[in-house]
Amino acid sequence: MSKVKWLSNVKLETGERLLANGTVETETALFHLKIEDGKIVDQLTANEVIPAGHEVMDMHGKLALPTFKEMHNHLDKTYMTLDWKACTPVANLKERLDFEAKELSILADSAEQRATKMIETLLQYGSTHIRTHVNIDPYIGLKNLEGVIAALDSFKGKVTADIIAFPQHGLLRESVPQLMREAMRSGATMVGGLDPAGIDNAIEKSLYEVMDIATEFNADVDIHLHDGGFVGYYTADKWIDIVEEAKYQGRTALSHSFCLGDIPVPQQIVVANRLAEADVAIMSTVPITINRVIPPIDLLDAHGVKVHFGCDGFYDSWSPYGTGDVLEKATRFSELTRKIDEKSLRNALKWVTGGVLALNEEGQKVWPEIKDDASFVFFDAASSAEVVARKPKNRLVMVKGELV
Amino acid sequence: MKSLLIKNARLETGFAYENGRIVQTNTELFDVLIQDGKIAEIEQNIQDTGYETIDANGKLLMPSFREMHIHVDKTYFSGPWKACKPITNGILTRIEEEQELLPAQLPSALNRAENMIEWLISQGHTHIRSHCNVDPQIGTKHIEITKEAFKKFEDQVTYDIVAFPQHGLLRSKVEPLMREAMKMGGTLVGGVDPATIDRDIDRSLNLTMDIAVESGHGIDIHIHDPNSLGAFQFYKLAELTKQAKKQGQVTISHAIALGDLHGKELEELVSVLAETTIDVTSTVPTNRPTIPIPYLYENGVTVSVGHDSLTDHWSPFGTGDTVAKLSTLAERFKFIDEYSLNRCWKYASGGITPLNDAGSRVWPQKGDAANVLLLDAVCSAQAVARRRPITHVISKGNIAYSNEEALAKEITK
Repeated sequence: MSKVKWLSNVKLETGERLLANGTVETETALFHLKIEDGKIVDQLTANEVIPAGHEVMDMHGKLALPTFKEMHNHLDKTYMTLDWKACTPVANLKERLDFEAKELSILADSAEQRATKMIETLLQYGSTHIRTHVNIDPYIGLKNLEGVIAALDSFKGKVTADIIAFPQHGLLRESVPQLMREAMRSGATMVGGLDPAGIDNAIEKSLYEVMDIATEFNADVDIHLHDGGFVGYYTADKWIDIVEEAKYQGRTALSHSFCLGDIPVPQQIVVANRLAEADVAIMSTVPITINRVIPPIDLLDAHGVKVHFGCDGFYDSWSPYGTGDVLEKATRFSELTRKIDEKSLRNALKWVTGGVLALNEEGQKVWPEIKDDASFVFFDAASSAEVVARKPKNRLVMVKGELV
Repeated sequence: MKSLLIKNARLETGFAYENGRIVQTNTELFDVLIQDGKIAEIEQNIQDTGYETIDANGKLLMPSFREMHIHVDKTYFSGPWKACKPITNGILTRIEEEQELLPAQLPSALNRAENMIEWLISQGHTHIRSHCNVDPQIGTKHIEITKEAFKKFEDQVTYDIVAFPQHGLLRSKVEPLMREAMKMGGTLVGGVDPATIDRDIDRSLNLTMDIAVESGHGIDIHIHDPNSLGAFQFYKLAELTKQAKKQGQVTISHAIALGDLHGKELEELVSVLAETTIDVTSTVPTNRPTIPIPYLYENGVTVSVGHDSLTDHWSPFGTGDTVAKLSTLAERFKFIDEYSLNRCWKYASGGITPLNDAGSRVWPQKGDAANVLLLDAVCSAQAVARRRPITHVISKGNIAYSNEEALAKEITK
């Protein structure tokens, strides 16, 4: 038998109005939503009467927004649940990797426990999808992968995930290509990569190896690209060639991609068009470190490139910060690019919802629709713009009709 | 004599080293007795002889925060949500907007100012420096409102009121109003961009200093003008400060230009500011070059943080959360290790930290003002990096705020 319930007094964004002084205000209205088997099957306006006979959950006028997608994380790396530990300063990436290598086998035993705390935290803030990179390296083999999969298993039905086999200590060394394939057979769902120039020291060979594994397992790809300047740009551009050859349009992403911020604007436009054409997404954690150039997200967006935000593997041997609230990344990006009016704040939400917005560019209601999953984050807020600007702490997270 | 005994408070006592590097902050539990708003005793065990008592239960005792740049008089805080109006006329957009908005907001101004002060206290602030509009439409009404709002919280915060000619001291012809505002209770003379707004650097700065001298108070002036234009005005201000013997009484707010200068230019300007004891406040902006806060501090220019706005017609983003502000500062300057995270607190506490740079315990001492916070944290480095919650705010020896929600939770990691 199917399970039916009503969510009453749900506030949804319905449109916008332009005021005489040039400001835009979001219009909202209250609705009753009928949920069957976790999906929205019917909708009444608030003054209509809910037919008797089913459970009714009163949402008391809370604003419903799409759930969040945390699109760049390292569930295996966090120190969460361990005693407080600050980071050890290092001179360069090589030292950082050496330091991590020393810690890996000590930390591997608690991977499931730490990942569980991280997932719990992300979910509490409203992320119901997590894309996690998981170390596949010569030091611990698949140990972290096992821990992360076990942790994610206990959230089945609440959290979906992409699990990326991530060659953090280099792809083209020792047994790593074999380990990567073993990881793909052992539950990893995507293929990762890392700085084909800076780490693998063989741009083309590294990229082709990634694509080989991906096609062998018919899996999607997400590559960490920190290499700056034109070497990073060339790597991205070359990757697009490989995507086109393999007909992998729409199946790959480049994480970080600081290099796209280093090149001149006319070239940014050229590469943006290529990224859009090959449907290569860009993942950003919106870093605010002084002198750290970030990719030109607004320009990429304007040229049709999909951009998604993530928290990164916060509170680990790399960085002591981070809260697990991916909405904060939308707020931070709005603040640093001066999006302060209703419309641009509202649009910034798409970078944490996988592109889903309640209102489209013209201010028309496009979400939620009948047949959509009844998955929401509920806020006490007037509009999604307020949510982005104020990032309210009190939230209710619902997945397929059930509060989590 | 009013007393408050804090049992089992965690105090930072030194640093732990590994291979010559600081890897941890040592802490020990103490009982701290507060009498007449001052720290009276700090001992391992103080007998409770009927004092009002808080059991800190291992929570971290830290110096309270000072909010050094905020505008409590013009805010949307605690009102209905409103995004900002898109900018249509450059810097004048907001000034034109204020001419209508602020008179319309007058009926709710006192209530909102009070709500904002209450919120800032809950976020650990026991001193607030508020700028307060003095302009042709509002006259000195905001000074009255701000004074009244602070009066309500007299046991909980000390404060400064900066008479602030937002629409330009010269541009909006408010010299008489400014002089009146200083007589009515302004404690600092404000100002804004002598070049961009007043378009007469010398006359604007001279008049600002003249009002400061007449009123016997200091200055806190907003200067957003970038690179060489900002620097030019800082030098002029330093010159006037020396002439008027106002060393130690002048603040530059925002001081954006310091984020633009490098090398010798920065060095020279910083040495002049240090010599004149001009200090700087910053919101640690992410949308422009942040001023080199650690460099300034190390070279004798005191830097304090402030939130500027919680949500108003200028910006929708502010939080009033200074633990988060320090975390942003740390992230921006890449402070990731125990020591550099530990050294952040001073930017929000008026320079007070439990440990000095060498790691000796220097705070609290008998006789220190009992303006303290308890946090659910094992050390200040963790508090900053992990944004640990404040559980108690104690101001002048009074419990100004206790966070029941955070207290209900066990210490999390």
